[in-house]
Amino acid sequence: MNIAEIRNLSMSIYSGKGVPALILDDLNFHIREGEILGLIGNSGSGKSMTAMTIAGLLPESAQVTSGSIEIDGKDVLKLSAGERRKLLGEEIGMIFQDPMTALDPLETVGKNLDEILRIRNIPKEERKSRIISMLETVGFIEPERIYRSYPHQISGGQRQRVLIAGAALLKPKLLIADEPTSSLDTVTTVSILKLLKDICIEMHMTILFISHDLSVVNNFCDRVMVMKDGKIIDSDNTEDILHNPKNAFTAELLTKAKLDPRSLGLEFSEVDPSGSPVLKVMDIATAYRDGFFGRQRAKNTIEGICFDLYPGEVMGLIGSSGCGKTTLAKTICGLLKPTGGNIDHCSGKVGVVFQDPVSCLNPMHTIRWHLNEPLVAAGIKLTKEEREKKILEAIKAVGLEEKHLSRYPGRLSGGQRQRAAIAMCLILEPSVIIADEPFSSLDASTAASILKLLSKINRERKTSILLISHNLRVVRTMCRRVLVMSRGHVVEEGMTEEVLKSPKASATKALIDAERQLS
Amino acid sequence: MRTSLQKKTRIYMAVGFSLLAVILVAFVISLTHLYVYDPNSTNAAAKLLPPSSDHLFGTDNLGRDVFARCMEASKYTLLVSFCGVFIAFVLGTLLGMPAGYFGGITDKFIMLISNSVMCFPGILLALVAVAVFGPSLFNVVWALGLVFAPTFARVYRTGVIGLSSKEYILHAKVLKVNPMRIMLLHIFPNLVPQLLPAVVIGLANMTLFESGMSYLGLGVQPPHASYGKMLADAQSYMTMAPWLIVFPALLLVIYVLGLYFLSEAARLSFGGERR
Amino acid sequence: MEQAKYIGKRLVELFLTLLVVSFLTFAAFSIIPGDTASVMLGPNATAEQLSALRSQLGLDLPMSVRYLEWLKGAFTGDLGNSYAYSQPVISLITDRLPVTIGMSILSLLMVLLISYPMAILSGRRPGSLSDNTLSVFGHVLFALPPFVLSMLIITLASAAFGIYSVGRYVKPSSDFFGYLGCLLLPSFCIALPKIAMTFKFLRASIIEEKASDYVRTSKSHGLSDVSIMFRHILPNSTVSTITVISLVLSDILGGSLIVEQVFNLPGLGRLLLAAISRRDFPLLSGMVFYLALITVLLYFAADIVSALIDPRMRNNREGTL
Repeated sequence: MNIAEIRNLSMSIYSGKGVPALILDDLNFHIREGEILGLIGNSGSGKSMTAMTIAGLLPESAQVTSGSIEIDGKDVLKLSAGERRKLLGEEIGMIFQDPMTALDPLETVGKNLDEILRIRNIPKEERKSRIISMLETVGFIEPERIYRSYPHQISGGQRQRVLIAGAALLKPKLLIADEPTSSLDTVTTVSILKLLKDICIEMHMTILFISHDLSVVNNFCDRVMVMKDGKIIDSDNTEDILHNPKNAFTAELLTKAKLDPRSLGLEFSEVDPSGSPVLKVMDIATAYRDGFFGRQRAKNTIEGICFDLYPGEVMGLIGSSGCGKTTLAKTICGLLKPTGGNIDHCSGKVGVVFQDPVSCLNPMHTIRWHLNEPLVAAGIKLTKEEREKKILEAIKAVGLEEKHLSRYPGRLSGGQRQRAAIAMCLILEPSVIIADEPFSSLDASTAASILKLLSKINRERKTSILLISHNLRVVRTMCRRVLVMSRGHVVEEGMTEEVLKSPKASATKALIDAERQLS
Repeated sequence: MRTSLQKKTRIYMAVGFSLLAVILVAFVISLTHLYVYDPNSTNAAAKLLPPSSDHLFGTDNLGRDVFARCMEASKYTLLVSFCGVFIAFVLGTLLGMPAGYFGGITDKFIMLISNSVMCFPGILLALVAVAVFGPSLFNVVWALGLVFAPTFARVYRTGVIGLSSKEYILHAKVLKVNPMRIMLLHIFPNLVPQLLPAVVIGLANMTLFESGMSYLGLGVQPPHASYGKMLADAQSYMTMAPWLIVFPALLLVIYVLGLYFLSEAARLSFGGERR
Repeated sequence: MEQAKYIGKRLVELFLTLLVVSFLTFAAFSIIPGDTASVMLGPNATAEQLSALRSQLGLDLPMSVRYLEWLKGAFTGDLGNSYAYSQPVISLITDRLPVTIGMSILSLLMVLLISYPMAILSGRRPGSLSDNTLSVFGHVLFALPPFVLSMLIITLASAAFGIYSVGRYVKPSSDFFGYLGCLLLPSFCIALPKIAMTFKFLRASIIEEKASDYVRTSKSHGLSDVSIMFRHILPNSTVSTITVISLVLSDILGGSLIVEQVFNLPGLGRLLLAAISRRDFPLLSGMVFYLALITVLLYFAADIVSALIDPRMRNNREGTL
């Protein structure tokens, strides 16, 4: 039994100037009752637009030019706007990507969800009890408290659960989930996916799951469709798609999705653990300043952090979001003052590489200016030629060319910008580089090249690296030792192989578990 | 392919510049003294004459040529607004940048002072300053500069705070670049999209303020011509000689309108509006 | 509990601001060149007369003492007597308050009642004909200073309806509706450019909020566009516009001072000018302080309203002050 049948669906967007853009091109597919159907594609492939078209949430400039969408037997395109709107919530439920901003910040969670039932004239008492019971179903242990909370008081993962509760409240037949886990960390992603699966079974729902990430599809979707340029180019059972893709593009997507550091053949510098460390972190605690006169908040964000970093060592720092990794990184490089403890840089310099390739460079200045600033700041007196030589050295060391020096960041790609940011570090010849999630915003091939670059720097210059990442595969390949953080403390430490093979702390176990489920 | 936003920007710019052109022409005329009649010479025989081919805008109660006086007044309008904005801008930079950058107690202190100044209704402050220190051109300019400085400081502060989480600023801090250098070279160029509209609107608002002040007799003093003063003088002749009100008012409004259109164009071209 | 903490914090800032405001006011009037005594007694006064007057007025006491005395008076409502009018400063001010406050309130009401519907009509369909017309209209209005507008309106009114009786004023105690009637036209002149400004900000805010994710969520729940506008978009837009509204209030207060002149109404503006020309410093400093006080309280009220509407504000976020 098909819950939805889409036939010959085409949709275009009219921008008011010239030719309308064809977004969906003659789509034909069906959604079987009770299944979880995955719709995968790159950005611009039309996957989100397909969902919006089915739901009837297209912007005014978009128009369906042909085809039919049958939900439960009736063609929704033939309905009036009002009737179509009625379907939303009752027959079709939706959840979107970014839970952080998907709830009205001025209302409590309860009030946000209340409107779903209020516009259907359900009495007040019944509304509250139905919402509370739904909140319980999605996994909240204290539904009453969540009901009374404001969106900014609960975490991203919790907000997504609330949104799922809202979408499922009227027990719709079809649930459309548009990238619901893309902005969540691995552990939370796994729990949200599990929730969706449970709801699907318990409430006899069908799920259309949209994503750009093929790795999420495994263990979750029954069937998968691949879209490209508004067309469906592949459609098969999950097993078959992942292991025997028929289409070349699908195969490409599969390889692109996974960043496999082992295949890169990285080599690292040798580490002498008996030598003097290059960075000593002793019992560090940091808190964020707060209050009228800058009084400290009572609780420390991180506490009791102790470790040494040896020359040439690559150390990993892992933990789920909110555990304090970035706070620690900021404290070590001097952006935050610790409230307790001491950091000894052992007369070396610390360089930092951050996550975002877009904002890591100042859009108003050339790359040459960016490389000159560290020299100016450090007060290094050089002649013009010496300066130029140093800049050229740095830029070549990261794999860029002289012509890039006179360009503005806007003209460089994400990977090139990240390299330039690394060059900014290198020019001062640091003994330690702190890399805070340097590849999470890059696609797999660019990330691979950055990995290669970092290993080259480590190998040739014996620079130690403190690598913060949530990607365990990368950490496993690159890091000799690893620190695991949770809730502001280091909960486990040791040689990477051992920690990841036989984890002792529960936080570590959760991370490894989540990674396994998603690969 | 031009989006409708770009088209809108260009229209606004075109309108803005053409309106401003009117004032600029007046300014040039006043500089070159290209008058038929001298703006300050009275002529008892030619009192309150309606506009004619001889006196384009008519004459006032002292027989002075209104057209010439309108041209003269443009000089002071431009002078006062530009100088005032310059002072406000510099003061705003000195206050707003450190407040936003350093935060903490510096921020709280500067904002306390700045907000306290903002608590005095602008006109009030300027009037009293001029009243207390005398209505010279210099006093008018710096009084206006003081009144508008907090607005600029606020724009800076909001802008700096908005940028302070950007990674390139964090990088600069890690590198221990001199804070002054960070503020001027790293941050300031990125604030231009916010500052430019604020400056243009500042020019417009300052003009309005000054005309209000000179209406009350506390702005630009005679024999310097000023639109506000002309309007004040014209009030008693409202019914008899409406041209005494219409022309100065028109020129004033054209200047301000031109500036507003330009500021809108600036705001739109920096991507200020999303559809 | 959070709310109480927020209000407490704002109160402390309010108090500090008032302190600074009072100090600035007092300091400004103490530094003035010229000697009050000689102004009052004229150029022919003898040295003894001058020093006698000075000690009578307390002008020879050290500044800190004078400041504290003044401060005490400011908060108890006793600012001494006006030099020129020989009446208590406070009674002079309260006599004229109805005009100024009346105009300000009327103007504010007009701003809110007109700019909101305009912004909703515009924001509903950005780029449409109605939006573009309203926007251009708004821009033009923006540029009209209140006193110019007043003059033009009076000119037109007299041309159309015969002489407009400027200066007609009825006290609220004798005829409340007549009082309102007198203030209607002047308030409108003050309000017009502020309507344009509020409309501009509100419209921009509405357009921005329309693109937010929670609007998309509500649509997926099945809410109609009208519902979404009034239940979600407007409240969120109002939060960002409150700062603008408090600035508008301050401008309205200032604008009323000038418009009074044009319409010849006995409000604080006329008193202010008289005080300035006579160098009547008790009166002047009293007026400046009280007007600033009103403004501070208005900003404070705007902050409190923000906190009531926006739960995020209550968490140590910066207020308008």
